[in-house]
Amino acid sequence: MNILETKSLYHDFKGLKVLFDVNLQVREGERHAIIGPNGAGKTTLFNVISGTYRPSSGAVFFKEKEVTGFKPHEMVRLGMGRSFQITSTFSRLTAFQNIRMGVLSRRGIRFNLFRNVDKLDDVTRETDEKLKRINLHGERNFPASVLSYGKHRSLEVSMAMATDPELVMLDEPTAGMSKQETHYAIGLIRRLTEGKTAVIIEHDMDVVFSLADRITVLHLGTILASGPPTEIRESRAVKDAYLGEMED
Amino acid sequence: MMNRTVKWVFWAAILVFVSIYPKLFGIYFTNVFVNFAIFALFAVSFNLLLGFTGLLSFGHAMYFGMGGYATALALVHIPGCPLLVALLIGFVSSVILALLICPIVVRVSGAAFSMLHMAFAQLMYVLALKLRGITGGEDGIGGFPIPAFRIPGIVSIDMKNPLNFYYFAMIVLVGSMWVLWFFTKTPFGQIMVSVRDNAKRVDYMGFKVPQTKAVIYAFAGGFAGVAGAIYAMFNDLISADGALHIMVSFAPILMTMVGGVASFFGPICGAGIFGLITEFTTRYTERVELVSGVILIVVILFFPLGFMGLVRFIKEKWFTKR
Repeated sequence: MNILETKSLYHDFKGLKVLFDVNLQVREGERHAIIGPNGAGKTTLFNVISGTYRPSSGAVFFKEKEVTGFKPHEMVRLGMGRSFQITSTFSRLTAFQNIRMGVLSRRGIRFNLFRNVDKLDDVTRETDEKLKRINLHGERNFPASVLSYGKHRSLEVSMAMATDPELVMLDEPTAGMSKQETHYAIGLIRRLTEGKTAVIIEHDMDVVFSLADRITVLHLGTILASGPPTEIRESRAVKDAYLGEMED
Repeated sequence: MMNRTVKWVFWAAILVFVSIYPKLFGIYFTNVFVNFAIFALFAVSFNLLLGFTGLLSFGHAMYFGMGGYATALALVHIPGCPLLVALLIGFVSSVILALLICPIVVRVSGAAFSMLHMAFAQLMYVLALKLRGITGGEDGIGGFPIPAFRIPGIVSIDMKNPLNFYYFAMIVLVGSMWVLWFFTKTPFGQIMVSVRDNAKRVDYMGFKVPQTKAVIYAFAGGFAGVAGAIYAMFNDLISADGALHIMVSFAPILMTMVGGVASFFGPICGAGIFGLITEFTTRYTERVELVSGVILIVVILFFPLGFMGLVRFIKEKWFTKR
C-alpha cells in the first residue's frame, strides 16, 4: 500500500515553476530517500505535502485519503511528523519541554486549562522515556538554544517523532553535521524509524545508499527516477544529471 | 524541599503584609496600594501577550477602558446592580471586545500587531469622547453608586468604606493574578510560550496557532477588563483620558520592560516601581514622565531583563559564592 502518494503535483512561486508533474509514491514501512541537486525542489515538495503551501495543482494522498491543501496541524493529527532543514525548535524551552509538546499533542491535550502541566505524570514519564531513547536525558533541563549543534539536530529530528507519527518526513536530518555526528545521527534515525515509514531528504550518498529502501531522484522539479538503490545507481539518466557529477 | 518551604514562607509573609498593610500605613497609602495592584493586574495581563506569546500591543488600554466603562454603565443604568455582577459585566465586555477583534489580530504579528492595536485603541478613545450620550464625553462617567457586597441573608459589607474596598479589591486582583499565573502553568500555557518561540513549529506539532492566540488574547483582554472595572469602582469615575488614553496603553509596556519581561512577576515589580516613582515625583513636579523615561532608558541600556533579571543575576552571584 502506498502510505503517501502525489498525483501530478505542480507548484510555482509567482511564475517560477518549482515542481513539475511530480508523482511520488511512498510505500508503507519503507525508508524512502529523496535526492537531487540543489534547487531541485526537494524542500518545496516537502512543504507542499506537509501543508506549508497549497499546491498550484495536483493532489496529495496520505493513507489513501486526499489531503491536498491540508494545514500542517491537520497533517500531524492524521499521523505525519516533519523535521526541518534549518533547526526549528522552541529555543527558550528545555529539551524536555520541546519533546513534551509532541507528547501533549499526541494525547490531544490542547485546551486544558485546569491542570498543572508539570503534574501530568503520564506525560512526564513518556517524555522522559523519549529523551532517554535519544540520549538527551543528560540535557533534560537545558534550553534548546544552548545544546551543541549535534544534540540540537537530534532534538529537531526527535520532535518530528514525538507525536508518534506513522510517516515521518525528515528534511536533511544530517545538515551541517561532522562525519562523526552524521554517523551517530544515522544510527538514531535508523532506530527511531523502525517500523515506521520515513521520507528523508539527504545529500550524503553513503547515507542514502545505506539507509534507504527506495530512492527518488528529483531534478529540476520533476522525478527523474524512482526505485531501489541498486537500480538508481545503475540508472543512466541519474548518472548524467546528478551522480555522475559527483564522481568526477 | 527546602526551596518549597522558603516559597511557602514567602507567600505567607506577603499575605500577612497585604492584610495588615492598611493598619501599618494608613488610609492614604492604602489607596496608593490599591492603585498599584490595579496596574499590576493590568500589566500582568499585558505581559501574557508580550512576555509569554511574543505579541507587543500598543493598545491594551482599550480592554482596561472597556471593563471600566462597562462596569460604570452597569452601575449607572441597572438599579440595584450587585457588586459582583457589575464586575462580571466588566470582565465579559472586555472578553467580547477581544473576541470581536481577535479574528483580525491573531493572524498578524510584529509591527502590524502593534499598530493595529494602536489604531483600535485610538478608535475606542475617540468613541468614548464623541458618544457623549453614553460615555459622558470628556467628563466621563462618575458619581455612580458603589453597591455593598451582599450575600442575601448572610453578609452585607459596605464598599464605601475604603478599608472594606481595599480587601475586596485585593481579593479580586490577587485572585485574578493567581488565575493568570496558573494559566501559564497549564498545558495550554506551554503551548503559549511555544508560540512565542516558534509559531510555525507549533503548527507542525499539531496545534492550531490562531485559535491558541485567540484564547490567550481573550484571557489577556478579560483580565485587563477586571483591572479596569476595579479602577472605575475605586475612583468612582471612568474617563477617556484616565482609562483609554494612549499613555494608559504605554503604562503596562513601561512596567513590563522595567519589571522584567521574561518573568511572570516582573510586571508586578514594574507596577510597584512606577507606583513609587509617581507617588514621590508628583510631590515635587508634575513631569512624572521625565523621571520614568530616564529610568526606562537606564533599564534598557543596562538591565535588559528588567528588575527580575537583576534579581536573578544577584541570586546567581550569591549562590555561586557559597
